[in-house]
Amino acid sequence: MSDDAADVQRVLAGDVDAYAALVDRYYDRCARFAIRMLGNRDDAEDALQATFLRAYKALNRYQERDRFSAWLYRILVNQCRSIAARRAHREKVFVREEALLLNAPDRAVVWTGEDEEFVQRVLSELDPLLREAFLLKYIEELSYEEMSALTGVGVSALKMRVKRACDRLRERWERIKND
Amino acid sequence: MTDSERHPYVELIAREARRPVVTDQAARQRIMAAVRAEPLPRRRSTIWGRVIAPRSFTLSPVTGSLLAAGLVGIGVLAGALTSNRVGRPPVGQVPPVASGLPVSLQASDTVVKFVFVAPNAAKVSLVGDFNDWTETRMEKAEKDGLWSVTLPLSVGRHVYSFVVDGAWLVDPKAPMAGDGYGRTNSVKVVTKGSTL
Repeated sequence: MSDDAADVQRVLAGDVDAYAALVDRYYDRCARFAIRMLGNRDDAEDALQATFLRAYKALNRYQERDRFSAWLYRILVNQCRSIAARRAHREKVFVREEALLLNAPDRAVVWTGEDEEFVQRVLSELDPLLREAFLLKYIEELSYEEMSALTGVGVSALKMRVKRACDRLRERWERIKND
Repeated sequence: MTDSERHPYVELIAREARRPVVTDQAARQRIMAAVRAEPLPRRRSTIWGRVIAPRSFTLSPVTGSLLAAGLVGIGVLAGALTSNRVGRPPVGQVPPVASGLPVSLQASDTVVKFVFVAPNAAKVSLVGDFNDWTETRMEKAEKDGLWSVTLPLSVGRHVYSFVVDGAWLVDPKAPMAGDGYGRTNSVKVVTKGSTL
């Protein structure tokens, strides 16, 4: 039995503290996805809180033949989608402001290499559909089959989204280079 | 990676985005505080398992006497309701049958039956907001390829999809709604006494 399965069994047997082990094991990885996906830490924390709470309440529906991490990720992806949709208006404002900043003539768009804000800004320029696929593929390093099971989107559509995300990034680089 | 995916800028962004993020220990503590405020998730069990599961409880002598008297009263009342004066069911009366509903149903729950025709499918599941998008397996009828599952749902609007051998499909009989991410789900509005 895996560590995850053992912890789930302990929780279902009444040991709530065993859930802390699961939270500790997956929090950082989930946080990285949520922050990259939603673009800010407040929204990401809301998504994480809702994800871990929903997973806890649904723990009796988790089936051991599935990987716990994949099951948890499916909940996380849906939570991020819900929060993004709920706050769509605010996000649009955010993206527009970022676009204005990037297009400002006096702003040097030079990447120092370790600027987290810069990475966030680049990712926020991607359409959420493309961003989600890009993150799952190259940041979470899932296979297309795993991504399909997690998102409910077909493998060919996911490949197309990842390719488009990469195309957008490449185009961005060309723009910067030519400025 | 394809050519565009292998681009150095793409690789750079991906590598930087893979860097771990700094997280706040207090946020984990807030999660665990919220978790501890929730009731314990119960192990799944079958209805029959719940019925035959041994239970122990303690009663005071007074409570025990009252309970015994109450049980006798219920027995007498049930006998009077289900039998005619000579102790046999009236002619043509159908004997009472167990409803088969999950015992965890609350008074506010409404039972909804989901059905999907897929004669050649090996596995059909139901996912929706009501099960946190985790798959609830559907049972296949032997003859007509009809898969079904019955769930208690709260009154309100629910979105769902069927997962047929891994592919998400909408319900052809239900209204549809986009999820804002290029996928379409089916919609079920549950009112009191709804079925599907």
